[in-house]
Amino acid sequence: MNEWLRQVRLEVGERRQEDGQVQTQTALFDIQINPQGIITKIKATTKESHRQPGKDLAGKLALPAFKEMHNHLDKTYLGRPWKAAVPVKTLQERLSLEAQELVALSSDVTQRATKMIELHLKNGVNHIRSHVNIDSYIGLENLHGVKQALESFSKDLTYEIVAFPQHGLLKEPKTLELLEEALQSGATILGGLDPAGIDQAIEASLDQTLQLAQKYQVAVDFHLHDRGQVGLYTMQQWLRRTKQSNYQGQTTFSHAFALSHLSSGQQAQVIQELAENKIQVTSTIPLNLKSALIPIDALQAQGVKVALGCDGFYDSWSPNFSGDILEKLRNFCEYTGKSSEQALRQSLGLITNQVTPLNSQGQQVWPKVGDEASFVFFQASCSAEVIARVPKVRQMMHQGRWVNRS
Amino acid sequence: MSLLLKNVRLETGYQYDGKTVVATTTQIKDIYIEKQQFQVIDKQIKCEADVVYDASGQLLVPSFKEMHGHVDKTYFSGPWKAVVPTTKGIFSRFEEEQRILPQQLGVLKERGREMILHYIREGHTHIRTHINVDPVVQTKHVEQIRALFDEFKEQITFELVAFPQHGILRNGIAFEAVLEEALQLGVTHIGGVDPASIDGDSQRVMALIISLAKKYDLGIDLHLHEGNTLGAYEMHQLLHWAEKLQFKNEITFSHAFALADLDQNDFQKLLERFLKHRVNIATTVPIGSGPITMPIAAIHQAGVPVAFGHDSLVDHWSPFGSGDMREKINRYNERFGIIDECGLGQSLKYATGGINSLTAAGHYQWPKVGDPANALLVDAMSSAHLVARRCPISTVISKGKIIHQEEIELKGAFR
Repeated sequence: MNEWLRQVRLEVGERRQEDGQVQTQTALFDIQINPQGIITKIKATTKESHRQPGKDLAGKLALPAFKEMHNHLDKTYLGRPWKAAVPVKTLQERLSLEAQELVALSSDVTQRATKMIELHLKNGVNHIRSHVNIDSYIGLENLHGVKQALESFSKDLTYEIVAFPQHGLLKEPKTLELLEEALQSGATILGGLDPAGIDQAIEASLDQTLQLAQKYQVAVDFHLHDRGQVGLYTMQQWLRRTKQSNYQGQTTFSHAFALSHLSSGQQAQVIQELAENKIQVTSTIPLNLKSALIPIDALQAQGVKVALGCDGFYDSWSPNFSGDILEKLRNFCEYTGKSSEQALRQSLGLITNQVTPLNSQGQQVWPKVGDEASFVFFQASCSAEVIARVPKVRQMMHQGRWVNRS
Repeated sequence: MSLLLKNVRLETGYQYDGKTVVATTTQIKDIYIEKQQFQVIDKQIKCEADVVYDASGQLLVPSFKEMHGHVDKTYFSGPWKAVVPTTKGIFSRFEEEQRILPQQLGVLKERGREMILHYIREGHTHIRTHINVDPVVQTKHVEQIRALFDEFKEQITFELVAFPQHGILRNGIAFEAVLEEALQLGVTHIGGVDPASIDGDSQRVMALIISLAKKYDLGIDLHLHEGNTLGAYEMHQLLHWAEKLQFKNEITFSHAFALADLDQNDFQKLLERFLKHRVNIATTVPIGSGPITMPIAAIHQAGVPVAFGHDSLVDHWSPFGSGDMREKINRYNERFGIIDECGLGQSLKYATGGINSLTAAGHYQWPKVGDPANALLVDAMSSAHLVARRCPISTVISKGKIIHQEEIELKGAFR
């Protein structure tokens, strides 16, 4: 049976005022959704609307549901008693600390992942890409646990699971086998980690990754923390392999810290190649003074698709952060000085798989009949307000179905 | 007025694994409050009180202080408005203020009140607000905001800064009279902003600020956004005039971006001079690509107190402020990579006027009998837990009484 949402506020255009202020214009609509969760009609709200059958949103603003594109559901302490983290000096030290507690944490991985998923749902996220450790300490145990947790929410969100060699691809011979097994057991993407910093073998690590990805025809998501020229070289080597094997459009570089602090020539060159090979970039908008923000605006201007993620939180790596992807977006805007209506509004695409209600010219492009009925609803006047003010109260609909797990 | 808090969690020490702090130990106590002070702290107190509240194991922490706000020119609680891009930097903002501040006079008190109530809900029991004194609004903002805070004087403490946002000298001699008039309307501080780039004569501005502060026995809170060597020059200038005119009252440098971008020598020299004049610093923990976030812990450890402020919550300057001090401290910890129980717990002091429950060595420090009873009850196991996971505040206690309370679900360690 078709369902109606009544009095939904949608952005329809913009108006420039005398003082130069751009104001987003909105209007109220009734939206019809079919049993498959697809929008079948959008018509202007009338005086009779609230008396007609359906759910009355009473003027709440609808935005596209949010996408959390970099997470570690297996690592969180959520669901266990509060615990801070232990400071370390190097990534290697962090990894050895993690190795010590991986097995102890695995017993309740499903429950912990569930808590994290619930937090994301409450915040308006209807898609999670989660990395899951695949290593000789934990084997596939975290994968099974995270998969079980995600499957139990399959009506509330979509997801991708990255088989992530957190402790290196080449350091333990068993890891390759385990990754292969993971790709046969529910992991949908192959992960990678600092071929220089961790594997100390850039070319071999990239070759193995490519081979495995091609064998299972899966996308690749590299965590690249390696800074400076060695990180850049790693990207260039992967770009070369991508071209040689025609593996365009299959790669995400997460973090990609090497993209900051490049000379303008090097930056322009690598961004052009990222765009040509349809490589995506994911940032967690790190605020740490040691991690300069990567040039997200320049990447997007050249057509590189950029997405945001919360990364792991409340785990052995970091106890901080709220877990709200919308706050990440606000931090990005604050960091880069985007405080005008248009700049705020257009940034929304970073957490909605590029969907914004208005295009850069201020014309309405979303939602349309035929689109998936996945929304976050806010008591707010427009998307710019939502991004700057980060309202806490939200309701989410995923593919035509109300999600209410909080 | 007396208040008895039952079953309050107090931090009593750190638990170590070798040299690393791995947890905070706590004890459940009763606390009796009267005459705005903690009077008795004991295992079980049996006595009468005007108000008795069972905290059910919630943690007691010092309440927050907002040390850099602008209550007088806010969009808060009004309709959403984004920021209009500027063409002439800060001077565009002055032109904008000349237009919009008179328009907002009618809602100034109402919005300011909503903002103060928001601060209280977020656990603040002290607010230092800057208040525009400029050629257009003249003393109107000071008069109205002074009256507004008087409404709250039984609930919170406050400091009012007469803030010449549009500069001083560039507005002509008549404006100096307006500023002087504002200083006699019950403010506690005189403000100022970037005297070099705005007035083009920092010598004269600094001398004037010091002499006015001295004349009216006020503190000084100077906003300095100027970068590295220029900012350092300005701070030295002010302290030079403070010495010359033997100024002894409080000096705060707000923002002080220069401190984030000085060579070690210049930085040390400035810190030493700060110590001599008992200067303190207010920062919003700014984020951005430039060197704008000062080494907060190093400055504080050198003996120069640093305090956090929110600045605009939402106005024509910026739309991003939440007024949530837990989020502000969280940002500080993220910015400086602080992740451990001790470091997290110790970071609370930037929001509480320097008070932590425990010293860095893990010794009990607060609350003690006789301390002012300004505190929060939060659903957290430790200060570290509170700031990392931004645990909710159920009860705001100020001047010895509960001034705000809300229902929260208690989850304790599992939050």
